[in-house]
Amino acid sequence: MKIDYSLITRRRFLNTLFGGWLTAFSAGALYAVGKFAFPTLGKEPDFVVLKAADYMNLAPNTTKLFAWGGKPGIFFRKADGAILAIKGVCTHMECNVTYKPAERKFYCACHQGWFDENGQNIKGPPPKPLEIFVHTIEGDKLIVARKGVKVELPKA
Amino acid sequence: MNFRRLKNWFTDRYDFSDLVKLAQSKTVPVHSGDFLYYTGGMILFLIGLQFITGMILAFYYVPHPDFAHKSIVEIVTKLHLGWFFRSFHHWGAQLTLLFLFIHLFGTLLVKSYRKPREFIWFTGFILLGILIFFGLSGYLLLWDERALAGVKVATGGVKALPLVGTFLMAFLRGGVDVTGETLTRFYAFHVAVLPLVTLFLIGLHVLLVQYHGMSIPLREEKNNPASIPFFPNVFYHDLIVWLLLLGVTVTLAVFFPPEIGIKADPLAPTPENIKPEWYFLFVFQTLKLFPGEILGLNGEVIAILLIVTAMGLLFLLPLFDKKSSRGEASPLFTWISVGYIAYIVTMTIVGYLS
Repeated sequence: MKIDYSLITRRRFLNTLFGGWLTAFSAGALYAVGKFAFPTLGKEPDFVVLKAADYMNLAPNTTKLFAWGGKPGIFFRKADGAILAIKGVCTHMECNVTYKPAERKFYCACHQGWFDENGQNIKGPPPKPLEIFVHTIEGDKLIVARKGVKVELPKA
Repeated sequence: MNFRRLKNWFTDRYDFSDLVKLAQSKTVPVHSGDFLYYTGGMILFLIGLQFITGMILAFYYVPHPDFAHKSIVEIVTKLHLGWFFRSFHHWGAQLTLLFLFIHLFGTLLVKSYRKPREFIWFTGFILLGILIFFGLSGYLLLWDERALAGVKVATGGVKALPLVGTFLMAFLRGGVDVTGETLTRFYAFHVAVLPLVTLFLIGLHVLLVQYHGMSIPLREEKNNPASIPFFPNVFYHDLIVWLLLLGVTVTLAVFFPPEIGIKADPLAPTPENIKPEWYFLFVFQTLKLFPGEILGLNGEVIAILLIVTAMGLLFLLPLFDKKSSRGEASPLFTWISVGYIAYIVTMTIVGYLS
């Protein structure tokens, strides 16, 4: 039924009203379920706090792992004594990399990717260098942060 | 998006016309008891919601005695709306069982179990048993002290059954006692075995209802009540009822979240004032009526045998009620039905209040 001066029929109006309500309702429910089912809990951290004493006494040309969220971070003292905190995840397919002290290179076993001791991709499929973190020491804490992130420690 | 083209794409390949005709020809009688028709759809809707909430809760639940309790605490404290989904799953289960009993009592009183619908009654009755077991197995997954004690009593009662009792108890518990073995086993029942059996039986139940058409109560049958089409009239009513039901469940879930007790410890003493879930109360209360010993026999064993016999007779009731099968009034079975319902309701209330 359509009144002369009306733009749409009554049926269309009601269908739109009901359909719109149903769409909005299911969208809300789906959003809630989705947020529950896929939370951001596993998100990568912006920074992690470690005990300085555990990491600062590394011998040259050795590494020590730390947890960067659910991924490995590699704390690394180069042969020349410089220190680097590197995300130990290959930039190709996100496999975990390992340090080969004999070759002084990082190696990814998934597709034979190689990185030099500064994290530069030198051989194989990796398209980008490894991610290097910024590390700072505050008292007995070692703070490893992503570049450009402002670290705000929770007040103890 | 062009719906017509999509529809044509399918109808070019598949012929839906018979299905559409079937759906269009489905009618539902109108009479004083027709509100009972909606209880089945309500249970179906609630079970659908239980499947959805259950699936997402299973993303995070850890079925291990050391972590089960903690994982639920984490679901309700750390995850987005986790408390709501857990509470909803709890209240959905309560309401499913509540409407199952209403559905069953209604069927009993209007005698829609009578010939030729005996198999609908049988499948429905088995479904009630399965959904109660759903409730019990889900209850244990909480792995708090009440759940542990409750499942100990419930599975212990099975032991009183003759011949199969001991085996059945060991099968349910996965050993002599309720332990972590029982937890993983109940988890498997709750998320894998029971859902499949439920889906199959619901399919059969609903298919049989379509096959026979809606049952009309005996006293209305003579009046030849008018019918209305299922699509869209009754279907829209269904949707309205479901929406209300969803509202009730959400309200209960938000305002009355179920508690989580202290983590279960198989060696700890049973907590004080322990009571089973409400749908077990009438059994619990019946057991209390019996003395420990009757004529030198174990009173509890006799009580459990009586309950099982009474349930068995109720299951087979359509076969005994010859009169209503012939389309005659059957007051004796009306009184038997009223007796059953009155007993279950009274004992549940007494058990709840005591």
